[in-house]
Amino acid sequence: MTLEKEENILRQILEKAPYAEGKVRRARRIEFRIPAERIREFLTLLKESNFETMMQITAVDWIKDGEIELVYQMWSYTHAVHAFVKTRIPREVEKAKVPSVKDIYPVAETYERDAHEFYKVYFEGNEKLEMPWILEDEDREAGVCHRKDFDMLNYVKRKYKILDRFEEDKEDYVI
Amino acid sequence: MVSQEELIREARENGMELLPLDKDTYELFFGPQHMATENYSLILKLDGHRVVKAIANPGFLHRGFEKLAELRPWYTNIALLLRVCVPEPDVPEAIYSMAVDELMGWEVPERAQWIRTVVLEMARVTSYLFWTMGLSFKLGVYTAGQWAAAYRERFMALFEQLTGARVYHIYTIPGGVRRDIPGDKWLRQLKDTVEYVKNKLPDFDNILFENYITYNRLEGIGVMDKKFALAEGVTGPNLRAAGVKADVRRLDPYLLYPELDFEIPVLKEGDSLARALVRRFEIEQDLYILEQLLEMGPPDGPYKVEDPRLKALPRFKVPAGDAYAHVEATTGDFGAYVVSDGGNKPYRVQIRGPSISHGIRVIEQLLVGARIADVPVILMTLGNCPPDIDR
Repeated sequence: MTLEKEENILRQILEKAPYAEGKVRRARRIEFRIPAERIREFLTLLKESNFETMMQITAVDWIKDGEIELVYQMWSYTHAVHAFVKTRIPREVEKAKVPSVKDIYPVAETYERDAHEFYKVYFEGNEKLEMPWILEDEDREAGVCHRKDFDMLNYVKRKYKILDRFEEDKEDYVI
Repeated sequence: MVSQEELIREARENGMELLPLDKDTYELFFGPQHMATENYSLILKLDGHRVVKAIANPGFLHRGFEKLAELRPWYTNIALLLRVCVPEPDVPEAIYSMAVDELMGWEVPERAQWIRTVVLEMARVTSYLFWTMGLSFKLGVYTAGQWAAAYRERFMALFEQLTGARVYHIYTIPGGVRRDIPGDKWLRQLKDTVEYVKNKLPDFDNILFENYITYNRLEGIGVMDKKFALAEGVTGPNLRAAGVKADVRRLDPYLLYPELDFEIPVLKEGDSLARALVRRFEIEQDLYILEQLLEMGPPDGPYKVEDPRLKALPRFKVPAGDAYAHVEATTGDFGAYVVSDGGNKPYRVQIRGPSISHGIRVIEQLLVGARIADVPVILMTLGNCPPDIDR
């Protein structure tokens, strides 16, 4: 199968954004890697290049590298192409910040709330992040529940007070 | 008698967040136990019977599937992820399996592709019949709903013969399907069922879709224009009802869809009636696709890939990388993003439910100005499936 269409789109975008790295992964899938501070600039460019819709923002916790990868997944009805826009930010809660893109793609607001609640990534400019969403207050205070270093098993045991009950034969319940 | 102010003060002390009240408006907690919201919670601020402000509150189901998926081996995740959206459980199975197939570099055998396509189309019809039931119950046209439930039951019986389960099938697996089709008798039964339901569709038109009550209740309610729908990331039948001819089966073809002939119904109005009618036309197209597939017949060959790695399922490892697969579900564009670090468990799985786009921001905007009686209708015609959001 020829990948001419995908290569054309990739070339046109990379000409306007020399800071980005890009490749064609397969038919109808292209991928970009960009620095986190230029995300707004790059997504504006993608919107002008007929990528009308954002499908989702995924946060992946690469604990070995000490980084969180944000994958902005864009879909174009005009080209029928799915674009992965990948960017990496530090894992520390104080430094895990990235500018919000909700004025470029309004639907991003929901995905940013999701990534903030479960991965503690702060999107500067999204004022809805502080509002309660899926998690209850108790769980929000407990920390970052989807990150890899969060000990969910112990947290659940403590929360529902099942740790004491199994204290005597604890070794049997180690998973 | 306790005054209202005291009750509110007490609620605030107990940590409940209330919208600021004034004299003319009052607040209503619509759901999660309300029948019309389907375990979805809305906080409505009302002036008389008009909605002034709506806040969507999706955190009721609260299940954490995505985190659980990271703790389980690749294969057992099928039995978990299919519970994301109950009326159409084959879709999460299919997208997860397609993403894993891509990571493994497997070319799924033709017979498996045929079976997967049949299963997905059967799931679409059952899901639309389930939706018809919901809409008719919300409009008070109970007869149509009971018919839809009965016709859906015929497909459920076929699913039971095929997969061993009525609702949660656990049938599409990475590399193909779990077992072969039961035989020619099953194919004949499916053909009869398709023909039977197709002949019954005019009855639905008479009693529900061309009904004067339906037109009165749906026309001009919850209007969503093309520009708004695209900006908010609305997909599927809701987008087609707003005038965009977009269908994943045509734009990003998968399985056998490039070989099949079907139309994509598009309407311009973008109101609840248009969304309902697009879904009505799609039942017909899906039955037509099933007819074509049955005429084509299942190709010969294996029903899953022959790979020695499939023999030790708990130690089954997937090469490092990431993949995104999506299919056209009845609620919209359903996708799965799967990341592997080369281990025997997924490193990250994110399910992209269609309701996350129209279930939060769009509903909050569409409900403003609507009457309280229209809230269930708007929720229903958007095809809102709350578990998509609160995965």
